[in-house]
Formats: sequence, C-alpha cells, structure tokens
Amino acid sequence: MSRDDNPNVTLGEQATQRAGQLTASLPAHLAAVRDRLTQRFGDAAEGDANGLEALADRDELTMVTSPSQLVEVLRFCRDDELLSCELLSDLSGVHWPGGRLEADVEETTGWPTYASQRPGTIDVDYLLTSITQGHRFRVRVSVPDVEPRVPTAVEVYRSARYMERECYDFFGVAFEGHDHLERILMPEDWVGHPHRKDYPLGGVEVQYEGATIPPPDERDY
Amino acid sequence: MGYDGTWADEATPADEAVAPTGEGALSPAGDHVLVGGDWQELADAAEDDLMVINMGPQHPSTHGVLRMKLTLNGERVLHNEPIIGYLHTGIEKNLEYRPWVQGVTFVTRMDYLSPMFNELGYCLAVEKLLGIADQVPARANVIRVIMTELNRISSHMVWMATSGMELGSTTAMIYGFRERETVLDVFENVSGLRMNHAYIRPGGLAQDTPDDFAEHVNTVLTEMPRRIDEFEQLLSDNPVWIERNKGVAVLDADECLDLGVTGPVLRAAGVPYDVRVTDPYCGIEQYDFEVVTGSEGDAYDRYTVRLGEVRQSLRIIEQALEALPSGPVMVEDDKVGWPAQLALGPDGIGNARQYVDKIMGQSMEALIHHFKLVTEGFTVPSGRVYCPVESARGELGYHVTAAGTNKPYRVHVRDPSFIHIGSLPAMTSGLQVADVIAAVASVDPVMGGVDR
Repeated sequence: MSRDDNPNVTLGEQATQRAGQLTASLPAHLAAVRDRLTQRFGDAAEGDANGLEALADRDELTMVTSPSQLVEVLRFCRDDELLSCELLSDLSGVHWPGGRLEADVEETTGWPTYASQRPGTIDVDYLLTSITQGHRFRVRVSVPDVEPRVPTAVEVYRSARYMERECYDFFGVAFEGHDHLERILMPEDWVGHPHRKDYPLGGVEVQYEGATIPPPDERDY
Repeated sequence: MGYDGTWADEATPADEAVAPTGEGALSPAGDHVLVGGDWQELADAAEDDLMVINMGPQHPSTHGVLRMKLTLNGERVLHNEPIIGYLHTGIEKNLEYRPWVQGVTFVTRMDYLSPMFNELGYCLAVEKLLGIADQVPARANVIRVIMTELNRISSHMVWMATSGMELGSTTAMIYGFRERETVLDVFENVSGLRMNHAYIRPGGLAQDTPDDFAEHVNTVLTEMPRRIDEFEQLLSDNPVWIERNKGVAVLDADECLDLGVTGPVLRAAGVPYDVRVTDPYCGIEQYDFEVVTGSEGDAYDRYTVRLGEVRQSLRIIEQALEALPSGPVMVEDDKVGWPAQLALGPDGIGNARQYVDKIMGQSMEALIHHFKLVTEGFTVPSGRVYCPVESARGELGYHVTAAGTNKPYRVHVRDPSFIHIGSLPAMTSGLQVADVIAAVASVDPVMGGVDR
C-alpha cells in the first residue's frame, strides 16, 4: 500500500488506488463483515450500481453506501446475528471542498495544502461497534456539500440524536426526520458551519447574541 | 438597647403592601406575553400547570457549565433537555491549523480530568496513520500504561469528591481531592505539570521519567489501597449515600447500548465492555486485571464499579512498574521523533548542553533538521483511522483524517461525556429534582470534553 502520497495525485485518484488495494491488509474478521454486507446489499466492485463499496485501509473497513439505503444498512448491521453492532460509537463528518483548491500560504500557520478536483462532498462516517462479535467498522455516506441531506439514524440508534446535532452544527448536514435538529455546541444564532473547510479559523467577527466583536486582526486592544 | 421581643428593622405589615399592584405588574393569570427563544415554552408549560426551570449553567451540582431545562410536574421531572456548548472552544478546528505534534497540547485540554487518555488516543491515531505503531519502544508503552492508569485513579477520585459534595458529603470531597494529589504529584514529577501535560507524543513520550519515578509511583501504590478502604468505610454503608444512589437513574444494558453509553455506566449495567480488552493498546493485554461490572445499573453500582476500577488500576500499575524495561522512549525514526534532548540544568529543564553544542557548533545538518521538524513537523500520509482508548469515563475515540500534509485534515473526538449527556433525558425522566443531581453525578460528565 502506497502511503507516500504524492501531493499532485488528486483525492479521487487516491481513493481509486485504495479501492484497488482492497483486502490487501484486511483482517479476517473484517473481511467476513464485508462479505456479509456485500452479500446482502450487493458489491459495487462487481458492478452492482446500488451495492456497497468496500474500502480497506490500515486494517480498518469502510463500507460506502448511498443516503437512500443508509438506514436500512444500519438496521441490518444492528439486527443481523453475524454483525450485531450494538453500539454506534461515533458519527462524524469530513468536508472535502470541491474544485481545485490549493492554498499557497505560510508553511506552519496557514491552511493545509490539499488538491482536489471532484465536486465538494461531505463524508458522514458511522462507526459501528459490535461488543459480542468484537469488530468495528465504518459505514459512510458521501453527500454533496451544497445542501447536504442524510436520513436520520435515530430510529436505529438513539445515540445518533446528539451526534447528528453535532454534525449538523459543524457541517450543515440536514438529517431528515430528526425531531430536534438544532445547533448543539455553537450558539443558536450562529451563522455558518465552522468545520467546513470554507469556514476560516480566525478573522471572523464573533457573533453572539446581538453583540459583535471584531476579528482579532482588526482589534485595537 | 437590649432585645425587647421585636427587632427594630423587622418587616411590618405596611412594608408588604409595597408589592406591585397597579399597571405593569405581572398578574398570576399570566396575561403578560413572553416572546422568543425558549421562554415561549415556559409560557406554554405554565398553562399546563407544569413548571420549566433551568438547572445551570451556573450551578454547583452540574459539573461545570451544564444547563438542564427541566419540565416539572410538581417535583417530578417530565422532560429534561440538557443544553451544552458553553465551553466550546473549537479545539477540533484549531487542530487543523497546527502541525501534528502540537495537536497533543490541544487535546490534553479537552477532558481536563483525564488528559493522559486524550494524549494517548490522539497519539495512537497519529501512529496508526504513520504506520509506526509497532515501532514505539517498549519502555514508552509501559510508561504510557502507568500514566493512563494513574490518570484513571485521579479522575475517579475527583468523581468521588464532586459526587460526594453534590450529595451532601463534604468529607468525601476533601478526601477525594487529597487522594488525587498523590497521583498529581507523580504527574508533576514526570511531566512538570499537574494537568495539561502534553507528555505523550506521537512516537513515544516527551522525555524519559526522572530517577525517582518508581519511588513516587510506589507511594501511590502503598498509600492508595488504604485510602480506598477509607472511602469504602465512609460511603458504602452510609445510609444517606445509599438512599440517594440505590435505584436512582437506572439504565439497563439495552438502553445503555442504544444510547451509546460506555465505560463505568455501561459496566454497572452488567456489560463487561472495556476497550482495554476488546482493542488493547500499548500492550495492556499482558497485564492481569479484571473488568469490574455491576448488576443493577443504578447510581450506586456505578460507584462500586469505579471503586473496583481504582483497585484494578493499582494492580496494572504494580505489574507495569515491575516490568518497566530500560531503553529509549521515542521511535528511532529521526523524521518523526522530536529532535530536542531535554536535560535538567541549574535553571530548569531545557535542551541538553551537549545537544545545543552539536546543533549550534558542529553540525549544520542537525540544526536544519531540528528547525524543520520543530517548525514544519512531519507529514502524515492520507487516510482515516479510529483509535479508541478506555478513558475514565468510557470509550474515548479519536477519528483522525490525514490528507498527506503536516497538519491534521480533520480530528473528531468521540468524547464519552458528550454521549453520556445525551443519555440524561432518558435517565432522569420520572425522577425527582434532587435525583437529577445524583443522576448527573453518576455519569461523571466533564464539560471540557463535552464541548471541546
């Protein structure tokens, strides 16, 4: 597995490379999980357009699915005897902005340098843990970063209720069907979703309950 | 003038007549209009004879700045909505703008009562991304285990202290904080700091332990069992403690799993789930210890589980201290390992004289290497990993994404406290207001970790 990533290789190409190296290092118990899931939902690697795509990296398994069958996949993972994932360990997002974005800034304090040529997406990862079977893997949905929509998983895992609120707060992902989709960590009247890559770290006006505080570089105190 | 039966400034009936009447006064019928925010809910609830009260964010029993909006029917809690975010400082976002090594200084400040676990989880994730997990020296791994297990003890001691205080036992508070000091003395001796150590670094440790390390740890090992016994004598059969905790805030195993609850709360419900067993890290599987479980899933069982865990941690530390090998504490790879070589001089800890002489006087390459690694850091090949550790509160997971640069692309922390706050509505529904205090205390949320 090539881990010396060439910065000139786009993220899409990297993903393809990784898919090509599938199962190269996948431990047996995770390979069984992958087989079970592709058996049930179809395998994208075998040309099934609706099937799941399995990614293996650093001994971890990621099953990529579409938003439309996400809830079904999660429910299957929870109820199936071989999978029996009792615990939704983590739900988190990662924003990959679209276009070709190469920030040329100071080496140590600026933006990370990354290159991307695909449309902007937000990956939402559901990390499932089975205590009885002793495995952990990810179910991932990738949605466009413009008006991202994912069905809520609350009916499968109640723990998703707070985690989805956090993901909505930070990425603006609308979890459809969530009964209380409000900001959770940022103030309720905040504008913007801070963990998106187009949201800068500093230099924004602090907005809080009607008061504004100028960005640090414009303050005279 | 002596006391003649009445105080001169005692309220007279005439004073009470000053109560607002006339125009603008709030009539009990509630014909005033409240608009906006959650006050509308208050007005709605008032019509149903329900009462909405805010517990917190400034409240001595909410473990920091947690606010709970309680809808009460008399003394019963109908609905509890925890409101968090008061301590949100954007640590995850900040990490994306710093070299990988500097991330340790940030994550250690999240859950400030278990800094070692935060550092360890983050470093394990970075090491897994770098593919150097198996190159971390044995000595570093053993010290990591000792430090994290010590941290579990100190964290549980603070839990006993704060819970005791919240349920009315100030003695428990004084004892708990005193016991914790013995552990913090070890931390201070090793890392120089009582909290926010940044001691565990990607690839190993910031520096080796001082010569009297074993002596300090042995103090904890000999002192602590006696003090835990003392705690047990103080609380286990204490009628007030039992009354406040037995059968309170019960969550059974199914509910715990559905709500994502892990750690002592889940084990108190009888599920022996422990990341140290399912996903062992730093060779912790080679030590002999038991996963302590309860059966009732109530606040009292959580107390006994934590007490048992402190004893098990002492067992692990004892074995680890015996097995402590000599050798380096940082990976061999000079492209990852921190270049500085620290030593104690007359003016405190700093770079060793010998090392400064080398980079300043002899080897320009060494100076360049030092400079590059300190300012720019190392690059981490792209990928995403999840590394859990069993923190004092439960499964603490680091979900780290790298994009092939010298900074993290995204770090998400699965903080157990955050998840546990989400379980409070289910846990406290139907309880009395006073039991809400016991319920919150029993899950031990640390707001620094919740809000990050």
